Amino acid sequence: MKRVTINPITRLEGHGKIDIFLDEKGNVANTYFQVPELRGFEQFCVGRPAEDMPVITSRICGVCPEAHHIAATKALDQLFGVEPPPAAKKIRELFYMAFFVTDHTTHFYALGGPDFIVGPDAPPAERNLLGVVKKVGLDVGKQVIACRARNHHVIEMLGGRGIHPVAGVPGGWSRPVSAAERAEIETIAAQNVAFALFTLKVFDQIVLGNPAYLDLILSDVYHHRTYSMGTVDEQNRLNFYDGKIRIVDPEGREFVKYEAADYAQHIAERVEPWTYLKFPYLKKIGWKGFVDGVESGVYTATPLSRLNASDRLATPLAQEQFERFYQTLGSKIVQGRHQPVHQRLATHWARLIELLYAAERMQELAHDPEITSPDIRQIPQGVAGEGVGSVEAPRGTLIHHYVSDEKAILTKVNLVVGTTNNHAAISMSIRKAAEKFIHGFEVVEEGFLNRVEMAFRLYDPCLSCATHTLPGEMPLIVNIKSYDGESLQSLRRDG
Amino acid sequence: MSTIIVGIGNRVLSDDAVGIKVAHALADALRSRSDVVTCELWGGGLRLMETLNGHERAIIIDAIMTEGGKPGSVYTLKPSDLRQSRNTYSTHDGGFQEALELGAMLGLNLPPQITIWAIEADDVETYSENLTPEVERAVPVVVEGVMRQIDLEQQPGLSGGEQK
Repeated sequence: MKRVTINPITRLEGHGKIDIFLDEKGNVANTYFQVPELRGFEQFCVGRPAEDMPVITSRICGVCPEAHHIAATKALDQLFGVEPPPAAKKIRELFYMAFFVTDHTTHFYALGGPDFIVGPDAPPAERNLLGVVKKVGLDVGKQVIACRARNHHVIEMLGGRGIHPVAGVPGGWSRPVSAAERAEIETIAAQNVAFALFTLKVFDQIVLGNPAYLDLILSDVYHHRTYSMGTVDEQNRLNFYDGKIRIVDPEGREFVKYEAADYAQHIAERVEPWTYLKFPYLKKIGWKGFVDGVESGVYTATPLSRLNASDRLATPLAQEQFERFYQTLGSKIVQGRHQPVHQRLATHWARLIELLYAAERMQELAHDPEITSPDIRQIPQGVAGEGVGSVEAPRGTLIHHYVSDEKAILTKVNLVVGTTNNHAAISMSIRKAAEKFIHGFEVVEEGFLNRVEMAFRLYDPCLSCATHTLPGEMPLIVNIKSYDGESLQSLRRDG
Repeated sequence: MSTIIVGIGNRVLSDDAVGIKVAHALADALRSRSDVVTCELWGGGLRLMETLNGHERAIIIDAIMTEGGKPGSVYTLKPSDLRQSRNTYSTHDGGFQEALELGAMLGLNLPPQITIWAIEADDVETYSENLTPEVERAVPVVVEGVMRQIDLEQQPGLSGGEQK
């Protein structure tokens, strides 16, 4: 057996390594991806006052502190048994939408974008943000920076601090929104809507307008018929801040819809001997291995799965794009809803539709007269002792689960982070890409490596949800080894 | 000269917090200086570049891990030396070098002078609010070094940047 090692994966959070094992004939026998996960965060939190969690958990990772802050704050509402006033919920959601706009924008232009905008076969040195800006123009680069800046400003204004927000408290939010702030946010939200529409147009022209890219999206390389997870409101419309978690089967039929607090009844975690990563699966279906289909408990929690789990979107322009998305990708309407799309590269497109939804939702909330209400806090009167808070983080459904003693000192902490939901699916996508591109010891080409990475990147994984660290620029190393460890070939590229 | 001091790292990952701890100590020491701003960042390329925008001088303090490096060692670096720095590269918003190039391309007002103080870390994988002893001992050394850099560079005719 030969072993191909891709280590580490470029442009992903954490240190990732992909091992590809070849059989005697030189075809793919197995693929594994591994990350040295930082463990022990839950234990680090036990013994601390529960109310510290929104601030501590926002430090798990610098990429999405806002998602952890909101999930933690919602878990505390339950742990202290308080219901926040409506205005507080709206401010939280407004804050969260500003975060979604910056995160999805950054992903498209800086991370996922290079695969499509610059091109899957472009030299690695050009497949970065600079390459994107050279292709789409300096003015677009300026708009990306401006979009980030204005939304970071909103996050700081509402969250009390630029990074690691502090405004979320059990039972509400610690500062009201003034009339002047509301007006400013309304203007910013309108700019966000315009920018999201512009970005969708860029995607249209560069990606959908290119038959080769469209073929790649529609090809079966990145196609998996799994279950889809997403949070929906009472009308089964996508919601990032609150609602029930809904799972639809590969045909689009609702499989289950549950309160986040009941997550442990529906999701179990598979442990594999070759990695610290856990592989969540649907408990009632069971773990059948790294396979897709209605009989397999594998599910995904991504922008694509969220659209699949929703009947429609709650804002008008995003809804138009939602319709167009399913029509373009050939999804039929069955029993009043679109059949799910399973072409995983469409996740990039789904992410931009979510960007538009977040921008429009931000505009709605900024326009809501209640957003400036001073009634933003319900003071806790006791300790219920247990709380589960969940949100849709950019990379998947995020759950914080705390148990405390009667003084609200934490005795148990469990976090299910966005990326974790997708571990099994990520493994499957890598394997499929490898099977497609490796046959009979065929020499590994750079385009192949890009495609294995593309399989990975579309999920936008944060591999450890803890480490933001990398050893400077990341080299890409490919080692081809015989089964006894003898190195047969070594390829390397830097950056 | 308008100066920004940025401490980078994660406050709950042992030695990864060293840049932040130095920046906090400097914020206290430089409270009276209206021309110096200090802040804390988790890392990142774009975000770091954006933070420096509009200042004439930047001082970045970060943890570093070099091959065979002795924990607590202090290095002063330029952005072009950054291949080994722990936090100046983020896969979720690109590398610092790339971001600086982008900033220049877009005509942002980036500081002509950027100094990175890097402290060799020992443990960056354990959740803890404490530094390891060697790294802890480096904190006052770096604080003093940065203070000296700021003062020296204030005086006309003297160029700084390589003092330790």
